[in-house]
Amino acid sequence: MVSQHGILYAVHLITNQFGNLVAKVCECLLRNGALTLQAIVRRTELSPAKVRNCLLVLIQHNCAQAFILEESVSGEDAGEPGKALTQYIALFVNILHRVRFSKFMDVVSKELGGSCGELFRGLLEHGRLTVKQIVDRAGANAKESTNTVQEDLGKLVMAHYVECCPAPEPLVPPPDADTKKRAKSSKVMVEPLTLEQRVMAVAMPSAMRRFSFVPNADQVADDQQNVNQPPSKDVGEKRKLHDLESDTALEEEVECNWRANFEELLRRLRHKTCVDTIKVRFDDAAATVLSAMLEASRAEEDKVKTANSVPLSLNTIYEEVVKNEKNHSMTFDHVRTCLEELSCPPTFVKTDDESYSIDFTKITEAAQSEEIESIVLKRFGETAYKIFRLLFRAGCLMETDKIADKIFAEKKETSKTLFKMWQDGYLLMEKLVVGGTTTGPSYGGSSYLLWKVNKRLLRETVLDEMFHAALNLNLRLAHEIDQNKEVLNLPPDKREGPDKQKFDRLRNVRLLIHSSLMKLDDAIMLFHDF
Amino acid sequence: MSRLQSPSALKRKRPDSNSQGMTDQESVVYKLIHEKENMGIWVRDIKRSSNLQDTIVNKSIKTLLDKGMIKEVINVQNKTRKTYLAAEFEPSPELTGGAWYDDGNLDVDFINAVKKLCSQKIKQLKVATVESVMDSVKASGAFKADLKKNHFEEIFGALVLDNEVMEVESNGMGEFAGIKVGKVCYKAIGKRRVGAAAAAAAAAEPRIGAMASIPCGVCPRISSCTPDGVISPGTCVYYQKWLDF
Repeated sequence: MVSQHGILYAVHLITNQFGNLVAKVCECLLRNGALTLQAIVRRTELSPAKVRNCLLVLIQHNCAQAFILEESVSGEDAGEPGKALTQYIALFVNILHRVRFSKFMDVVSKELGGSCGELFRGLLEHGRLTVKQIVDRAGANAKESTNTVQEDLGKLVMAHYVECCPAPEPLVPPPDADTKKRAKSSKVMVEPLTLEQRVMAVAMPSAMRRFSFVPNADQVADDQQNVNQPPSKDVGEKRKLHDLESDTALEEEVECNWRANFEELLRRLRHKTCVDTIKVRFDDAAATVLSAMLEASRAEEDKVKTANSVPLSLNTIYEEVVKNEKNHSMTFDHVRTCLEELSCPPTFVKTDDESYSIDFTKITEAAQSEEIESIVLKRFGETAYKIFRLLFRAGCLMETDKIADKIFAEKKETSKTLFKMWQDGYLLMEKLVVGGTTTGPSYGGSSYLLWKVNKRLLRETVLDEMFHAALNLNLRLAHEIDQNKEVLNLPPDKREGPDKQKFDRLRNVRLLIHSSLMKLDDAIMLFHDF
Repeated sequence: MSRLQSPSALKRKRPDSNSQGMTDQESVVYKLIHEKENMGIWVRDIKRSSNLQDTIVNKSIKTLLDKGMIKEVINVQNKTRKTYLAAEFEPSPELTGGAWYDDGNLDVDFINAVKKLCSQKIKQLKVATVESVMDSVKASGAFKADLKKNHFEEIFGALVLDNEVMEVESNGMGEFAGIKVGKVCYKAIGKRRVGAAAAAAAAAEPRIGAMASIPCGVCPRISSCTPDGVISPGTCVYYQKWLDF
């Protein structure tokens, strides 16, 4: 379930990029879960045509997904008995990705070069494109040849940065069948998937089809189609299937829209965060070794929230390290020493029979607790910082006096700080009454206050605050721009004296807020996506 | 019969007094206090156990204090409770708070001095155990107080919470060579930089997280803040200060 400020933030992002109408439909889906078209119309009080258009925009930009539930529909939207109705669900995660496009561009451009980056930018801007649209766009912008464009697209697909779009209206089976199947194959308790996860799991094409791009297949299909009918005038209009005596796979290839694969991009950003965390805690050499391990095990990683990387031998890690010219001077022993240090508690790298694997969970948790500790220190002070670290590590209830003793603080100050942190949702509190009669502690008993950090609830609280802060940064920027719009409208040569000062200040404000937003988004990914 | 009688003989014997010069009530109160030895007793507990009237208990305590037979001590667990000890006993650590308290108050200067010295020793030793630091500190003679192993364990716990040192377990290899496998050790926290980079890192401010570096992250009113409310990003004074270049 998305938190209150998560919804507000997502709606703000959609409003900024697509306008109020689309945002209204998006908000309706985020607040109510999956809905049919009629239900959205009823709740938003917009016309069916407007709602349909808004949904098309959201789907085009991967912010919503249509689906059909296999079980029979009942309730307010029941039509004919057993008739399946198309429902729509907002994809909150993908909405958040819209502020990360510059980070995604950075990843792709660094690895695959400028021309791939430019092609990728088009996919981000337009949401999803067919091969023809990609080629047409590249031809118009940079005069790239079809072969070059197809080659670049092939590279992007091979690197898994681009994927074939999901099915438009998949049939989603009931949750029981799916959960039982997963529980049988796994020996641990399986957390039920959310509806969004179930829909996307079914909608996604198979791994082979998802990353299978055949250059020039589209061109061939186009030529065959042109024999039968005139070419389509509108870019983006879906082709209709004809009775062509062609291969089914080829027909499917023609139908395929391509889009950015956010999963792979998120995985790369997660790797970057892990390397940065290790660099801060250890040194550049340890970060280099970790980076090499990530590169060597990249192909085997299939989920963003993988707990551990595949085990690698010391030789494999060393070979990967020295592949990079900058690391040629690093010796085998130095690599081994770094691994030994990373293997010490809190054990960011696990060792097992002379093989090493990265513990992503430990690294992520270390980065998360560092972020929370930073908030606690700044917001509540040094005493609170020590209290928080004590309770976080203890993982159990602790009495006020004991806390005061452990942190060497006066009991009064400790009590005051504990209450402040509790009021803001950073601690849980329980009251324990010992002795006395049934009429109360005043008849001889004592009451004690016990405190605890609930890590799961705390992460949710902090994440909601981060969404709130991200929304506030955006709103403040809009406010600053609004307050200074006259200065912005002045031509540059007319900006003098106080106007120039205002303009310069606004430029600095924009820079500061944008960089803060990017940094805050890294923290949001840490708590929400990694 | 001698007409000369000793002055004491002429004095009428006071009713309810004993050979120590205490009245029976005072004797009851003193006995209750004495029984508790170095743990002391709260005045309300004296009143409850003695079944004497409050005024009599208070008067008895005053008399015993004047005679120097009992003393009042501060109970660090509850400073508002008047606690009494028989004069011959020293208050227990539970009453005084132990080595870290002076006259009922936390001796912050002493604690910080011990922490600083222990931190320095850990940095010198690179990997330190409680015993190694304790021996080093005692050998230096820096402190008069007789600090035991548990005192150093408390100090090390505090240094971990300050994020100055980290607790690790010896694996018997490398930097842990010579330390038993599984033994709890401590290492100073800080990146292994050398030269100018080390100096720069030492002088630098601790890393501030993304959320803590913006006004909302540290705002005490964030729960009351709404886009169009009295407290909002547009009206926020913290934002005003933050953007006041």
